[in-house]
Amino acid sequence: MSSKLFGFKSTVSHRLPIHRLQVQHSSADRVTVHFINRDGERLTATAKEGESLLEVVFNQNLGIDGFGACEGTLACSTCHLIFEEDVFQKLDAITDEELDMLDLAYGLTDTSRLGCQVCVKKAMDGLTVQVPMEVADMRRELEVGKQSK
Amino acid sequence: MALLQRGRCCGAAATTSLRRLVLGPQGRVCESHVCSQYRASSSLPDEKKEFLQNGPDLQDFVSGDFSDKSMWAEYKGNLKRQKGERLRLPPWLKTEIPIGKNYNKLKSTLRSLNLHTVCEEARCPNIGECWGGGEYATATATIMLMGDTCTRGCRFCSVKTAKNPPPLDLNEPYNTAKAIAEWGLDYVVLTSVDRDDILDGGAEHFAKTVSHLKERNSKILVECLTPDFRGDLKAVEKVALSGLDVYAHNVETVPELQRKVRDPRANFKQSLQVLKHAKKVQPDVISKTSIMLGLGETDEQVYSTMKLLREADVDCLTLGQYMQPTKRHLKVEEYVTPDKFKHWEKVGNELGFHYTASGPLVRSSYKAGEFFLKNLVEKRKTKVI
Repeated sequence: MSSKLFGFKSTVSHRLPIHRLQVQHSSADRVTVHFINRDGERLTATAKEGESLLEVVFNQNLGIDGFGACEGTLACSTCHLIFEEDVFQKLDAITDEELDMLDLAYGLTDTSRLGCQVCVKKAMDGLTVQVPMEVADMRRELEVGKQSK
Repeated sequence: MALLQRGRCCGAAATTSLRRLVLGPQGRVCESHVCSQYRASSSLPDEKKEFLQNGPDLQDFVSGDFSDKSMWAEYKGNLKRQKGERLRLPPWLKTEIPIGKNYNKLKSTLRSLNLHTVCEEARCPNIGECWGGGEYATATATIMLMGDTCTRGCRFCSVKTAKNPPPLDLNEPYNTAKAIAEWGLDYVVLTSVDRDDILDGGAEHFAKTVSHLKERNSKILVECLTPDFRGDLKAVEKVALSGLDVYAHNVETVPELQRKVRDPRANFKQSLQVLKHAKKVQPDVISKTSIMLGLGETDEQVYSTMKLLREADVDCLTLGQYMQPTKRHLKVEEYVTPDKFKHWEKVGNELGFHYTASGPLVRSSYKAGEFFLKNLVEKRKTKVI
């Protein structure tokens, strides 16, 4: 089963975590990225230049669940992230495939992108991204429900 | 958690085979003799091989007290997830190692017929139970069609995802039907991945498999666990009219959590329509669905969902515990107790479902043959009266 998995992955993408070796790089290659989780918690990670934001979350075991369900194959929108305006402008152009999946994302904004398609660059050091909610806040829904009764 | 269980399974299987060789009738002799027996095992006479194969199992030597049900009520671990926490697996979700004659027979038959089961692909914990068959000796297996790669990425499912999976094998319907018919199974469940890259979502492929199967063996009971075909009701019709006995499609969770749990291309209304339409075009078919608990739903939401399903004339319902397959997937919000599952079973029966299979390890096709036949037999008894 695992050999089938390897064969499949290597043809689909060259950027998947399984192929990456954890080699010690000099600090010059490390980029600090901050993720603001759905519950408001701030998670900080140091990424290697060229890593996608999805790989950063996965490799650093950040506590963001339900993130990257399709493993970076542009077949879902679970790695949806919201960027700051100035950073957003400097990102690589979005492809049609990414746009198709991004359109399905909940809580889409003008500065939204899919984390699996955004690669970390040195100029992004100190980057802060927001992990959006997947549904309207459950507690709010329950309260509304109680009021309507 | 699932990984730990897998590891245990592999280790135990190896130990079992070793014990079989060492503790057979030759085991009573001195060590050096035992060693030579081990080396010479390939030249054992057939009857001795048979004896060893049917001899004492690991089961006979292990006390098996981890499944002691009296301890469940005393379990004091956290069952509802707090912020930042990852819940530990409660004792009622720990399973026994799959062993037994029936299980082994099925496994080797599958390999020789080149069939793939979701039981193995998704490492279902119930594999030993279902393949072993129960009171009515109806072994159930769930065959996976259209490959092992899906075009959607749902947050609860660990099946591989890709934008363009490998194309369909056009011989699959014929070969699968032939293999299943030869196998001599009483009840088979056919399921598939989502194939949004195919025009009809794979409905024709599905339907052909069922009709070929029924042609070869009209007595076998067939259940199809289908995708939603993106709401394409013509595709649903194609499958529903192929001759199957049970049409299953899973709604997975309550309407309020659909967006969070499933791929955005799936939703409650669409899934309900699939179930309603199947009944509409084929009134004799039995419809079935499944819900996962433990994703953050409330009791009121579960109850109202069950009511909605019954109103849509869904006949069978299964309720199981969601278990996080990998770290990419949703965390378990709550481990629902076995007593609570029993409560839902009662509610389901009260609402009027033909049967409600409810338990932490229950899955959509868990002992499906068993439940179906048991139900059918009981209904026939009451009709006679």
